Amino acid sequence: MQPISPATLSPWVPGLLSFALYSVIVLAVLGLLLVLTRWLGEQKPDLEKARPYECGVIPTGGARFRYPVPFYLVAVFFLIFDVETALIFSWAVALEDLGWRGWLQISFFIIVLLISLIYLWKKGGLDWRPQLQRQASPPRR
Amino acid sequence: MATPVAAPGITTPEITRGLEYLKRPRFPGPAERGIEGLLDGLVNWCRAYSFWPLFFGLSCCFIEEITAWTPRFDISRFGCEVLRGSPRQADLLIISGTVFKKIAPVVLRLYEQMTEPKWVISMGSCANCGGMYDCYSVVQGIDQILPVDIYIPGCPPRPEAVMQSIVLLQEKVRAERPLRKILHRPGGSQGTQTPILVDGLSKSRDPRGPGYYGTPPRGSEETPPLFWDARSDLMWTPPPNFFELSDTDQSLAKTMREKFGDSIAQAENTSDMLTFQVAPARLKEVLRFLKTESEPKFLRLDDLTAVDETARREREKYPDFTVNYQLLSFDSASRVRLKAPLDGPRPALDSITDIWPSANWYEREVYDMFGIRFEGHPRLWRILMPHDWEGHPLRKSYPDRATDMPPYTHFEAQRHQPQDAGEYLEGRLAEDQYVLNIGPHHISTHGLIRFILALRGEEITAIDTDIGYHHRAAEKIGERQSWHQFIPYTDRVDYLTGVANNLTYCLAVEKLAGIPVPDRAQFIRVMLTEFFRLSNHLVWFSTYTHDTGAMTPNFYCFAEREKIMDIVELITGGRLHPSWFRLGGVAMDLPVGWKELVDDFVKVFPRRIKEFEALITRNPIFEARTRDVGYLSKQDAMEWGVTGPNLRASGLEWDLRKKMPYSSYEAFDFDIPYATAGDSYARYLVRVEEMRQSVRIIEQAANRMPPGRWLSEDYRYIIPPKEETLTDIETLIHHFINVTRGAKIPRGEAYAATEHPRGEQGVYTVSDGLHMAYRLRFRSPGFAHVQAMPLMAVGHLISDLIAIIGSIDFILPDIDR
Repeated sequence: MQPISPATLSPWVPGLLSFALYSVIVLAVLGLLLVLTRWLGEQKPDLEKARPYECGVIPTGGARFRYPVPFYLVAVFFLIFDVETALIFSWAVALEDLGWRGWLQISFFIIVLLISLIYLWKKGGLDWRPQLQRQASPPRR
Repeated sequence: MATPVAAPGITTPEITRGLEYLKRPRFPGPAERGIEGLLDGLVNWCRAYSFWPLFFGLSCCFIEEITAWTPRFDISRFGCEVLRGSPRQADLLIISGTVFKKIAPVVLRLYEQMTEPKWVISMGSCANCGGMYDCYSVVQGIDQILPVDIYIPGCPPRPEAVMQSIVLLQEKVRAERPLRKILHRPGGSQGTQTPILVDGLSKSRDPRGPGYYGTPPRGSEETPPLFWDARSDLMWTPPPNFFELSDTDQSLAKTMREKFGDSIAQAENTSDMLTFQVAPARLKEVLRFLKTESEPKFLRLDDLTAVDETARREREKYPDFTVNYQLLSFDSASRVRLKAPLDGPRPALDSITDIWPSANWYEREVYDMFGIRFEGHPRLWRILMPHDWEGHPLRKSYPDRATDMPPYTHFEAQRHQPQDAGEYLEGRLAEDQYVLNIGPHHISTHGLIRFILALRGEEITAIDTDIGYHHRAAEKIGERQSWHQFIPYTDRVDYLTGVANNLTYCLAVEKLAGIPVPDRAQFIRVMLTEFFRLSNHLVWFSTYTHDTGAMTPNFYCFAEREKIMDIVELITGGRLHPSWFRLGGVAMDLPVGWKELVDDFVKVFPRRIKEFEALITRNPIFEARTRDVGYLSKQDAMEWGVTGPNLRASGLEWDLRKKMPYSSYEAFDFDIPYATAGDSYARYLVRVEEMRQSVRIIEQAANRMPPGRWLSEDYRYIIPPKEETLTDIETLIHHFINVTRGAKIPRGEAYAATEHPRGEQGVYTVSDGLHMAYRLRFRSPGFAHVQAMPLMAVGHLISDLIAIIGSIDFILPDIDR
């Protein structure tokens, strides 16, 4: 194993300090805001105030019930494409270093993404119309 | 300037009180209280110029309240700009309008869910003290439930009054000392400090003011239900108006006699339509025959209501109750009425929901109001009154005044609650579904109505509706106000269409008594009614497009609407509720300068419609939200009693102004716009085109305004002009009687319907030969429309429901009356 010369390393110690400072300030401001709003605001907790607001009447049933599948689908699609966007960003940052080869690789990646998007579109995964209408006619456009 | 010197010896109470006021210990100003005063001032400055009012409206007043937010008034100048949809984000509650006993628990809950500190403005006479609605369903003053900071008088107060109330509230906030409260120190003040008022202690519900306890109201010997000393009994009138039966009617009467023999009896000398007395046992058979076999067929159940006959002057001639079924034929443009007599302590009839599904709500209403049961009804329960209400309000034995009942207090508002949503959807909820309330307090419901949805995801699988939050007892009040006195109540039956409601009521009474109306009055009536149609459609346009995502039309439409209000104000002196029509004509002649204003308007307005259309008609968002949404078939629309623009959007060219003309509409040249798609977009197109036609009618009415009298000469029934009373004694006597006690209208009944901006509004009035109606009934267009909503909404998404609500254009006082 070759010894690592200090010159190849980035000067990371001052960076850590500023990061730590930043974190402390953020936490302090957050904490201050939370404590201040908690303390300064006039609080009159009672049954009605604690009740969920539903157009002025007492809600029926709990809020924890079985969610229909389409909600999960949308959430999962969003998650997947969001993570993939993060990958594309990291490529864009290193665009010049990676050169044409990197460009080809990311293009392949994006094309695969597009194909999967088209696939789930065709499958009706993005169809937000009610079930009755969906049964009556295939997805529009 | 000379220094005022108090003259010695002046001790009158007012002056003493005034001097005490001047000498009162002054509230220490910011400077005197040092740093604390400065900080108080700073907090108050922030609060006073950034109120967050709750988007909350109860009744007519809300229209004027919201007008203060629109271009001409522009309340944002006062830092009071953004209405909050949820009480969690609001600190100002403006109680705009009538507080109903059914909604009071909701108002209290919203108030309690608001953030601290909070302020309350009570807007309008109804919220202040019950106002003109001293009736069983209305709370006589919100201050019995909530503490109130500012009262705005008026019915309704103008938008300027709302702005003044904000200025007053700012003054109040600037005098508060919030710092101590904020820092949890003793003392200090913020938010509403006044207590809730208690009837008899700190408040009097007596409409005459305090101090009259134990004294019966003046004239109570002539009031319902007994009228034991009514002097109308001694007066003579000609017989009621006679209605000439058409050939179709006569042939129908003949067929009916042959088919049903003794079970039916044709009523003689009716004032309005062919009428039969039917034995309850064969009623269903007769109705089925009229719907499916007779010539012509009566496809629409126009109205279903009852009359409590137990307080009749000639009691022996009447049964205990009469249930009226009124049908309409589209083929022959005629109506027929069937009357079923009922006796006994537990009156019951067979339900006709298997013939007309739309009879469901009507039968529920008759049950709710009269306690008449309908055997075979799918679910007979209260519809207008709260579920835990006692008694049947339209029975003659039921008290009509809230002041005759115990006060509705804070405790009552906590004790009574709207019924649980699960009750409404009983048996219609699958395991994977959940229940959501939209309303009674919701921005998009356009009033106090509650939709209870069963949802799978965002898809509506079942919908039920809870109405009655805006039940203002108009029909019961009609039984105690004299024939003329009731006119102001009609304006408020549909608070966006003002005199259009006057027209229906006046037509009904005029039809009953046979009062002729001069041409000029008819033209004036038509012109003003069309102005209110425009005004209504403008509000509809702005709210509908707002609900579907467009903010701009709101400001455009309300700016135009103010110009209509200017014209209305010049002519009538009023804005929302002119109450300007009278039996036999209108209140006064057109004022100087009316023609110029109307001409200007007619010139400009068609261009404005073009602008509105350019914003919306081809707008892709709007189209996506409304096309193929809320489809209603023509057949369903006809059978469910859907009327007006909604019926025309489903493909039927039916407009009472053409098909059964009234009030000189036959003299005008205009088209009936209609569409065939039957969806929310079609309903939009029809209404926009209707605006164009209304402008045409207004133009013709203004250009061809006939000269002559604006009030009938039949002084027996009408209120003669005051000037004429000074010239002859007969007129003076009629004026005196008709203004004080009220005119006597001959015994009989009559129904009149008009093409109201919202659909067909009808008034059915029964006279027992007294100075007030024996029974007054509004056939409301909205009632039928909302009942038909499940047909349009089930299977759609929640967002589509909002579009459907906007496209139907209902209004709550019209549905609940």
